[in-house]
Amino acid sequence: MSLLSDVLVILLNGLQQGAIYVLLAVGLSIILGTLKFVNFAHGALYLIGTYAGLFVALNVPLSNGKLAEWGFSSFGLDIGFFAALIFVPLFVFGVGLLMERYLARAFYDRPDTDQILVTFGLAIVVQELFRVLFGSNSLPFEQPERILSFGSFAGLPVSGPVALPIVGNFPQWRLWVIGITAVLVALVYLLVEYTDFGLVVRAGTRDAEMVRLLGIKITRPYIVVFGIGAALAGVAGVVGGPLNVVNPTIGTNILVPAFLTVVIGGVGSIAGAVVGGIVFGLTTAALVAFAPAWSQVGLYAIAAIVLLTRPQGLLGDEEVTP
Amino acid sequence: MSEKDANPSAKDALVGGSLFGRWEKLRGREGTVVGITAILVAVFPYLFARAPVVSGILQGYQSLATLILIWGIFAIGFDLLLGYTGLLSFGHAAFWGGAAYAAGIVAKNVSGDPIVMVVSGTLFAVLLAWVLGFLSLRRGGIYFSILTLAFAQMFYYMAASPLAFLTNGENGLTGVEVGSFLGVIHLESDIPSVGGMLLGTWLYAFVGVFFVGAVAVAYRILNSPYGMVFRAIRENEQRAEFVGLNVWRYKLMAFIISGAFAGIAGSLFTIHGAYVPLQSLFWTESGDIVVMTVLGGAGSMFGPVLGVGLYLYIENIVSTIQALTIPFTDIVLIRDFGFYWHLLLGLVFVVVVWVVPDGLWGILNRLRELAVEFGSKAAERLRSRSKGGGR
Repeated sequence: MSLLSDVLVILLNGLQQGAIYVLLAVGLSIILGTLKFVNFAHGALYLIGTYAGLFVALNVPLSNGKLAEWGFSSFGLDIGFFAALIFVPLFVFGVGLLMERYLARAFYDRPDTDQILVTFGLAIVVQELFRVLFGSNSLPFEQPERILSFGSFAGLPVSGPVALPIVGNFPQWRLWVIGITAVLVALVYLLVEYTDFGLVVRAGTRDAEMVRLLGIKITRPYIVVFGIGAALAGVAGVVGGPLNVVNPTIGTNILVPAFLTVVIGGVGSIAGAVVGGIVFGLTTAALVAFAPAWSQVGLYAIAAIVLLTRPQGLLGDEEVTP
Repeated sequence: MSEKDANPSAKDALVGGSLFGRWEKLRGREGTVVGITAILVAVFPYLFARAPVVSGILQGYQSLATLILIWGIFAIGFDLLLGYTGLLSFGHAAFWGGAAYAAGIVAKNVSGDPIVMVVSGTLFAVLLAWVLGFLSLRRGGIYFSILTLAFAQMFYYMAASPLAFLTNGENGLTGVEVGSFLGVIHLESDIPSVGGMLLGTWLYAFVGVFFVGAVAVAYRILNSPYGMVFRAIRENEQRAEFVGLNVWRYKLMAFIISGAFAGIAGSLFTIHGAYVPLQSLFWTESGDIVVMTVLGGAGSMFGPVLGVGLYLYIENIVSTIQALTIPFTDIVLIRDFGFYWHLLLGLVFVVVVWVVPDGLWGILNRLRELAVEFGSKAAERLRSRSKGGGR
């Protein structure tokens, strides 16, 4: 192993780690930037995404929790990972629409603290609901072997190592995670920057009242933005599930890094969320390699330093109103 | 309370010089508040754990009573910040857990004297609050919440692994030996005679003194011009700045005072359990204190304590209920009721935030006002009727 390949492995691992943060942070960021809504339940959407992914992709035995007691010995449709990648975002998109319509909308005019409190409460409710249904133990979420295998078509292999130049063998699934993230984030970016829908959304971010005065119904773009943010969290749950443990506390555990990613990147900026996620991913990967004891501390230290020296975030250009 | 004291003449006209009216005048005084707190603290463990019928229904026990007071101190301090200054910190676990660790480490390496433990734990929390407050208060609103959260998480992960030689890492700080108070009284032992029947253990009395002290100090702060400034900042920070107040300094002081309360509570927690779990630094612990405070009623003196009582009661007693039945019958409504305790608490919390932002205390207050109004109306009717009879 040369130094170069070590560095490249750290880079790739960092990108993969960062990819999950990016998916969550882009969603959080567009919701926070456009709707001015602080969503502490974003981790809960990730949790829903992970379990929904597990449900669609595999069929896992249940031993704990109420579902097992009620006689469900296993859980899942077992129709493959690709199906999960399609259906779960749609499902979580729907969850996001409901959440915007029946929860967030009632809180737009209330103080930030109330938004934090109610979504934090919702996060507890969702987490405990999953704990009641599935038990607090971890469920196995195996990495998919192949995706898109229909009938005689064997499908694309996505698991196992792949030989890369210089680096040598690298887990293929991690590359897929990076790729899926890149594509989705690019799509959201194009949607916000280059479509009429995005134009309304960006105008609403600047001055929602003016947009309304111009006769544009702003509530519809808002609900869609919320849904897209939620769907991205769902995707993060699906692709991140096989890389981490799956239990009811993953939502609250990932929320804090996701929020920090948004804040250090700059609220409302998609590029900022990407940069923030990559910075976090690379830091974590580098510390895991060189100083494992400090791997988690580093993330928070970086966040603190960035926020204190550049309060608006790395790529945030908006004047910060305290 | 203070709004009512502002126009006592109107109040007098309503309720007159009756016993009730005299109580209305007395209830705002510091002496009354502290005195009643002391009496309630004294009878609470008896009612909760030992009184004949009541404790049978409540199913309480002594150590839970102690725990409620400890968290109560924490909540009173937290409310100084959230309810009165309007700053939502998601990082108070750093002060609570930090003080708990500091007290435990001092007990292991220096002295197990409870006073020494509380003083060192609190000092540590104050210093930490000073530094973290200085850094986090540079940003307002949600950024303040997120910054405090980030710093607190940093301490959690520091305690988890780089500082494991001090904190014993994932296993938590075990083997804390709490010495005797003033060298003679073992805190775990029961108090003899009547005191024992009421208070139970010396530990409860020790914690109780701190609790009453915390109430007195918080009450004094909040009803002083200093506390008035806190409220001014909550209502409108910009305006407070414009009238020439140094908002930054007051916010920092509110943060430090609140950290000190958390520090006292955290140190007492170590004395109570002789153990510090790593969990005590995790951000869900900060979340718990937020839930307790808001549930009880942020922005009131005793609401948060009520919230603490409710939360810990549900966590420790309701969670052991096997089946929820209709009272006095055997008809089971929900099986394994206790299993759902946290879910239930989350739902109640969401409803409270949504519908009654001033919490349970706000509900009680409204009921009280309703009763006062009803009472005074009834008295007036009585008076007019007697007048009519005279004519």
